Amino acid sequence: MIKTAQNMKSYKKQIRQALADSFLRSALDEFNTVYRANRASVYKEIDFKGLRDAIAENKDSLIPFFEILFEEFKSNAQKAGAIVHRAQDARQANEIIARIAKENRVKTIIKSKSMTAEETFLNNHLEKQGFIVTETDLGEWIIQLKKEGPSHMVMPAIHLSRYQVGEVFEKNTDLKFDSENIDKLVKVARHELRPKFLEADMGISGANFAVADSGTLGLVTNEGNMRLTTTLPRVHVALVGFDKLVADLGSALRILKLLPRNATGQAITSYVTWIKGANQSLNTASGKKIMHIVFLDNGRLSLSKDSVFSTSLRCIRCGACANVCPIYSKVGGHKYGHVYIGAIGLILTLFYHGRDNDRAIVKNCINCQACKEVCPVAIDLPHLIKKTYARVIKEEGKVPVKNFMLAKLMTSRKLFHFILRMAYLAQQPLSKGQPMIRHLPFFVDKDHGFRSLPAIAKTPLRDIWKRIGPELKNPSRKIALFAGCAIDFVYPGQGKDFLTLMKNANIQVDFPMDQTCCGLPAMMAAEEKTAKDLAIQNIHAFVAKEYDYILTMCASCASHLTHNYKKIFSKDEASGRKLTLFTDKIIDFSSFMDQVYTFSQPHQNIETKVAYHAPCHLCRGLHMTDEPRALIQKAGYTYVSSKDEDVCCGFGGSYSVDFPEISSEILKKKLDNVEASGADILVTDCPGCVMQLSGGMDKRKSHIKVLHLVELLAKKES
Amino acid sequence: MSEKAAGVGTIVHEISCVSEAIQYAVDLNRKEKMRTIACPGLDPKDRDSLQKLCHSSGINVLEEPLRDHAGCLDTSLTWVDYGIAETGSLMLASDVEDIRMATMLAKIHIAILPITKIRLNTESIETELDDILKNNAPSYTAFITGPSRTADIERVLAIGVHGPIELHLLLIKEMTS
Repeated sequence: MIKTAQNMKSYKKQIRQALADSFLRSALDEFNTVYRANRASVYKEIDFKGLRDAIAENKDSLIPFFEILFEEFKSNAQKAGAIVHRAQDARQANEIIARIAKENRVKTIIKSKSMTAEETFLNNHLEKQGFIVTETDLGEWIIQLKKEGPSHMVMPAIHLSRYQVGEVFEKNTDLKFDSENIDKLVKVARHELRPKFLEADMGISGANFAVADSGTLGLVTNEGNMRLTTTLPRVHVALVGFDKLVADLGSALRILKLLPRNATGQAITSYVTWIKGANQSLNTASGKKIMHIVFLDNGRLSLSKDSVFSTSLRCIRCGACANVCPIYSKVGGHKYGHVYIGAIGLILTLFYHGRDNDRAIVKNCINCQACKEVCPVAIDLPHLIKKTYARVIKEEGKVPVKNFMLAKLMTSRKLFHFILRMAYLAQQPLSKGQPMIRHLPFFVDKDHGFRSLPAIAKTPLRDIWKRIGPELKNPSRKIALFAGCAIDFVYPGQGKDFLTLMKNANIQVDFPMDQTCCGLPAMMAAEEKTAKDLAIQNIHAFVAKEYDYILTMCASCASHLTHNYKKIFSKDEASGRKLTLFTDKIIDFSSFMDQVYTFSQPHQNIETKVAYHAPCHLCRGLHMTDEPRALIQKAGYTYVSSKDEDVCCGFGGSYSVDFPEISSEILKKKLDNVEASGADILVTDCPGCVMQLSGGMDKRKSHIKVLHLVELLAKKES
Repeated sequence: MSEKAAGVGTIVHEISCVSEAIQYAVDLNRKEKMRTIACPGLDPKDRDSLQKLCHSSGINVLEEPLRDHAGCLDTSLTWVDYGIAETGSLMLASDVEDIRMATMLAKIHIAILPITKIRLNTESIETELDDILKNNAPSYTAFITGPSRTADIERVLAIGVHGPIELHLLLIKEMTS
């Protein structure tokens, strides 16, 4: 059944196996692209953000009151003849359901799709008790026959090809199929499962909504199996998480506007069914259905009181966080969750299925923000994943070596920068004075060889600054540069180009020397204390009130400084006014060039074709989307679009070192798309992305040059 | 309504009276070589005329309770309560088991809806639905949108996995008793 890796060594092994599955790879890669393209058209007539925020707010107002809503639901449902139970944990839920089956002399059970039943491993329990259980959702039936867990919350068998499905069917039905024809495979399910529906004594379903003020269950489905499951057998048991409680029908209908759109790109599913109480059922003595509803706690109620994680209970199980995840699209759901899949799975696994099952998978987030962008209930998934990782580390009581090193090295700026300078000398045998390191030494794992690495610069920007930093007499503006480690120590040339542009526009730029790493790498490693120390150092390094802006050319730094600094400090310690003063002044390069900068002369158009890569933390972190492309054109270049421009490049800072096998696959797709666009130059506005993209292009000896936008613009302005 | 319903695979026709619906059902059954039809909820008068037409075509009109015929139900002809224009959905109160049997088990479901019962969107039938749900009695109410569908194998859309393979919607322009 489900075998989730419990340590990094076996996780790495599983990842390598998944990456070798060619059907999985192509199916999920295509899905990732198609889903995102379709999504735009599905939301054409809907105010996604407005609805999303309204639902999130409504959910947050109810989460602390699940117990009250439960009582209200129970009282209303029981008036209509349902029997309502509550189960503290998975075992208790399974036992209640088995007991109901026994009391009603049930032999055969049919099930419609329920992630909550997957959560409690209900089938295992019932089968052990001697009941015959048949899943009737097509995808669930396939994986039941294959003895696997779901690999997606909405499409449980997305990892299997038609041929694999055909093979499973042949094995289990003694019939021969033309597996090419999916329609025929689907009809096998209709033909084989219909008799099971007619014979079954009990039907088990989940629910998408439990409407408290009427005691109604709402179920959102497509196949029609749930309707048969809840109608034909004499007993119906619904297993429902406490998090499915909503106050009223209006709340449910509002969620219904987003759920199918986000899950499957439908305005509404084929069937939305509202079931209340014990309905007519002509195969029982009373003429009424024997109707039980089991509410599952299994950690939800304590989660509802958790100040950090309660928002994870907003989840409506649409599965979109997996659909857009570049990592899911490489490794598939069996390697990207335990029972719950995708970003939300990395979080919920800790609470519902324990640390052992979350320990390895929770590290596998590149923080690209794609999931957060599409979440229909505005869960800050990347943030909560890091918080979950921090909790895992805390519970394990053992500080990982990486965190120990980060804390030791980074908290002291002088030590950190000393080490970076030493690194320049240490790399000499590898770089041989070139800007790229093309061959890694033998003791480094070969997985890391997918890109050339940039060499550390001989003289960091901060040292050059003393020589080239301007002291303008009557500057039009005064700004401070937050360089970030990559520009300071790897790409000081980008800093020089920036100065050229600013001098042309008579803008004074200062470089406060006490600035240090923004702290994002520490936060990525869930090294919270170090991230906070670095934030304090940076806030104190800048006398924010003296500047019109604090500009950074690194998208990741910009997004971290703008958004995460506010999350790092609790309300009462916020270093007060100083924090907001600092974060309010932060501006990224593209915004500055678009909104503030005046170009000296209009540019003539040239035919050099320029493709653009949208850094995650710019397009999603700061919602800068059109401006960088406009700037390319403003500078006179011919912008060419390429597929999946806003999908992550696979860098993610230390992610590419921790998971090189995945990072390289994400990069490969990106570079293939750029090459297919026919571009001569690839531009982006984050030095981290430049590092990854140029390293990859160098390795494949491509003619395409990778530049930071500042380099492209400086070329034309100088 | 017609456009949205057709967009999700519903076959929509406008008719002017119930007897046209009955004729439509018989013609369709004949064309598709279906042998049985269920019609729970139809007026006795309409049921009679259906029976007469079916008899001459060799189609069996199933007696209720339909549970007894669950294994051989080919087509169903039922009223639905509301239309939801925004999504092309039909709202059907199906507390009566026979209505559920007919609309879930059939290969072809033919739904009849007076045009006057079409509402703009789910918000505009929220009150009607909420009234049903707040009544302290059991209820089973469905929004039905197109035929049964799945994309569980390779994300390829396939119709008719468990529920009706075809959904026909007959819109009655003006109700004549």
